[in-house]
Amino acid sequence: MKRIVNKDELWTRRVVLQRAMHLSALGVATPLAINLAAVGEAAAFDASDYKALVCVFMIGGNDYANTLVPYDPANYALYHQIRAGGPGEEQAGIALARADLVATALTPGDSAVLTDNLQYALAPQLSGLKARFDANRLAILLNVGPLIQPTTLAQYESANRAANPLPPRLFSHNDQQSLWQTDGDEKSTHGWGGRLGDLALSSGPSNSLLTCISASGNAVFVAGQDAIPYQVGQNGAIRIKALDGPLRGAVRNIITRNSSHVLENACAAVTRRSIELEGRVNNALRGVTLTTEFPRSNLLANQLRVVARMIGANATFGVKRQVFFVSFSDFDHHKSLMGQHPVLMKQLNDALGAFYSATVELGVADKVTTFTASDFGRSLASNADGTDHGWGSHHFVLGAAVNGGRFYGTAPHVSTSTDDQVGQGRLLPTISLDQFGATLAEWFGCTPSEVPGILPNIGNFSNTNLGFLKPG
Amino acid sequence: MQELEQRADPASVVEAPANSGDSQGAAFVAAAAALALSACGSGEDGGPGSSGSRTPQIPPTPIPPAPAPGPVPPPPRDIVPATHAEAARFALQAQFSVSEADITSLKSGGVLAWLDARYNEPLGQTGVAWLDSRGHDAITVERRYRRRQPGDHMIWNQLLAGPDQMRKRIALALSELFVVSLSGINFLHPAYVIAGYWDVLTANAFGNFRKLLEALTLNAAVGFFLSTRGSARENSSGRQPDENYAREVMQLFTIGLYQMNPDGTPKLDAENKPQDTLSQEDVVNLARVFTGYDWDYHSNGGSTRPVEWEENPVPSTHFASNPMGFNPNRHSTTEVNFLGQKITGTTPGRDALQIALDRLFYHENTGPFFARQMIQRLVTSNPSPAYVERVALVFGNNGSGVRGDLKAVWTAILTDEEARAMPTGADTLFGKLREPMVRFVQWGRTAEVASDDDEYQIGDLSQMDTQLGQSPLRSPTVFNFFRAGYVPPNTEIATAGKQAPEFQLLNESSTAGYINFMQSVTRKGIEDVKPNYTTLLPVAHDVSRVVYWLNLQLTANQLSDETLAAVTSALRGYNITESTVTSAKLDMLATACFLILISPDYLVQK
Repeated sequence: MKRIVNKDELWTRRVVLQRAMHLSALGVATPLAINLAAVGEAAAFDASDYKALVCVFMIGGNDYANTLVPYDPANYALYHQIRAGGPGEEQAGIALARADLVATALTPGDSAVLTDNLQYALAPQLSGLKARFDANRLAILLNVGPLIQPTTLAQYESANRAANPLPPRLFSHNDQQSLWQTDGDEKSTHGWGGRLGDLALSSGPSNSLLTCISASGNAVFVAGQDAIPYQVGQNGAIRIKALDGPLRGAVRNIITRNSSHVLENACAAVTRRSIELEGRVNNALRGVTLTTEFPRSNLLANQLRVVARMIGANATFGVKRQVFFVSFSDFDHHKSLMGQHPVLMKQLNDALGAFYSATVELGVADKVTTFTASDFGRSLASNADGTDHGWGSHHFVLGAAVNGGRFYGTAPHVSTSTDDQVGQGRLLPTISLDQFGATLAEWFGCTPSEVPGILPNIGNFSNTNLGFLKPG
Repeated sequence: MQELEQRADPASVVEAPANSGDSQGAAFVAAAAALALSACGSGEDGGPGSSGSRTPQIPPTPIPPAPAPGPVPPPPRDIVPATHAEAARFALQAQFSVSEADITSLKSGGVLAWLDARYNEPLGQTGVAWLDSRGHDAITVERRYRRRQPGDHMIWNQLLAGPDQMRKRIALALSELFVVSLSGINFLHPAYVIAGYWDVLTANAFGNFRKLLEALTLNAAVGFFLSTRGSARENSSGRQPDENYAREVMQLFTIGLYQMNPDGTPKLDAENKPQDTLSQEDVVNLARVFTGYDWDYHSNGGSTRPVEWEENPVPSTHFASNPMGFNPNRHSTTEVNFLGQKITGTTPGRDALQIALDRLFYHENTGPFFARQMIQRLVTSNPSPAYVERVALVFGNNGSGVRGDLKAVWTAILTDEEARAMPTGADTLFGKLREPMVRFVQWGRTAEVASDDDEYQIGDLSQMDTQLGQSPLRSPTVFNFFRAGYVPPNTEIATAGKQAPEFQLLNESSTAGYINFMQSVTRKGIEDVKPNYTTLLPVAHDVSRVVYWLNLQLTANQLSDETLAAVTSALRGYNITESTVTSAKLDMLATACFLILISPDYLVQK
């Protein structure tokens, strides 16, 4: 059954904190520590360590089947039949050549046997991720997607929606992007990254402006109730030059003044935040030396570079928990999959590789966990030279805290007719977004009872921690 | 969503034998042959026979007659603006900038006469004609035909120059609903491909929605961006029709994702939930209608010619303006059932297209869906349901029984009581954040910019850290620069349950980037496009007059007293007299514009 969750009741720490502040305002001495201790579960976020989550969003819906490719002869043959329209092992249609997959074929460390004895290979461009997989730093989650509750094909096709609820507006880009980022519908104004930020803020002294950070424009993932998303430029914060010149008085007056008009005031508030943080952010960034080379002409790498520098700068900020959002686009390969997808895979590989190295250099490789997300997976079937919108997809989790070198979840059959897909190889997810997010959230410091406040459908799933992150 | 593509050059297309299999090039040749001979070509890939002879003849679906038009709306209200500010406010909702002639004409003849004059203005130079005039059609070893930047130059010229600016303002608003992005056009002559699309918008901006929808469906740029170009019917090896356009033409261009009441509010079910308009099955079915289309290189004098520096011949630019050609052999013959409309497999493809587009055009959502977003682009982010309903009613019937008359829709939007009520301090939510590209064009026209050599070499200004943060026809995806329902988090807008789509572009980086960019641009211009401030230069010594004029021209007198005082004080500091050198006067005029253009009172158009 669908669980109805009143989020407000779940903001235990925040509510306690707010009450503590109200009491303080009334002159009643209520030390923060006492109130937090009273909650009993607040230990994790109160720890003195640092942790960060980094969401790498592939905008447009990544093609799962050319990212993680069936490699053993029998399953490769099925893949080739569907994607190339006939038998063979050569590159044809939208099937990769089997010979090109030799170097990135994966042998999981736990020697688990997957569905139909599947052996997978990564896309040929993901050689760096293959090395991280072999070093147990990369885990691969199979067939992840949004679900309200565990759902079979019969339930998906059932006319009884009340008993078999589905996520809203499957297969639509903006709705599914929003669902992945908010675990709510397209109108949601807060993301689960933002809610994690709220929880972190409520647990101790922190900074509401430097907890949730996007390097990729306004993203709802990092919008919380209290944690205000901050946009950092690719080379740091942007300074308003006129504030250093002869017009500075007039400029400051004009751009920061309060207004009774709500929209005008919202404009000025963004500018005020920009000015307030610019000096602090850039001063802190100046103190960061990072020798790791990031690839050039790689929009994802540009963003991950400033994220790495912001993590380095946190020595100055002193924030204990941070959530970052980066993204890159053009994954919507209705056409030209074979020409364009490898280009994006190369960018992903190079950017994630550099970023992981940077976290090693900064000494925080086990404190920073990076995960991929996307609108949806795509169809396994071809529309000639591309694929169409799907649902479940495979995703990566990278970091030294990861129980890597293995797969999590159930591999889907290589098929357009089995009951783990809803037609044309659009996967019916077997790991829910809530389970994926809950595992990340618990590592980040959430207690199990707090997870439903972050990911509201988690109560409908029995396994709430998939185990791909080491505790602590 | 957008497509990035490195497709084989069209010449490979021409050289490929028509039976060479599945390449879209071969399809093009087949299409050309079919068009020329109107023959039943050879079945293109061993699929079911194109004649349909293997199945018992199922009658084609006839094109249904048009439903009766909606109820007759009240006639549009004429309004004669009482003040300069009221007149300027009207003009700035309808177009980019306002001239003294606009104000005079509005105050003497009223808004309906002014609108009629705009509607009757002849279509100015097209984007394609401008590109031709600058020699961008040259097929030379410099390979200009591979560059996208002339497409940016084209659109900046279109927006900044020429008298027919209401048509262009409307076309720009349409480009944010029927989105195509130059960034996604990776092909030969990308500038012409995007110009061919822009020219469809300007040509139909004062026409009919149905005609616009069809012209866009067959447009080369839309076909490329949303991959109808080359989409083929299902075949025995499992290939499926491309679903891209089928989904987005419903979801983004016509009916949206949830069922609407006539006032644009969602229809709720018993559990208070919105109801879907469409299912994935509707998408799969409608995708069959859009199979069989491809670019038409050879109509209207189009040609391809071999050049020694390219492996393949290069086409002339005609294909960018030609509607896509149709090859019945590539068209799906599977029955279509979408949104309750059945189209049998034997229905000729051209008829199937009419039936499908009619189904979307006459859908009850299309009027309110379109009306609400156009009101948001032109007037206010949060129109009342009654306002949306009044405009949607006009979409359904222009008063003479015509559905989809766009002139009537613009008139309804701009003359509505909600648009015309002068803002008061009490309504603290009315209006919208001006889009960066609209601010820039307004400034350019007000500052009387010109390009000495008429090249308009302004490029893509999308970068938010250092540039405008938005550039026309450069949306990152088919979902436009911002979502229609975007709510900025942690604001009073969110608390009030309101939307502010344009705020999706506003953040700590972009606000600073815009301010820095405008400080430079207001004085120096950009590339070869320079401000002249011709009207203001002779009165630059008169600060009050400068401030009065710019307040009217840029904001319809919406600057607060505090901003006016701050601007005036800063300008007096320049100590400009009649005899001051021109460069100092230009410094001061640039500062005047700069300070106004960064003020929240300007940024929010009320």
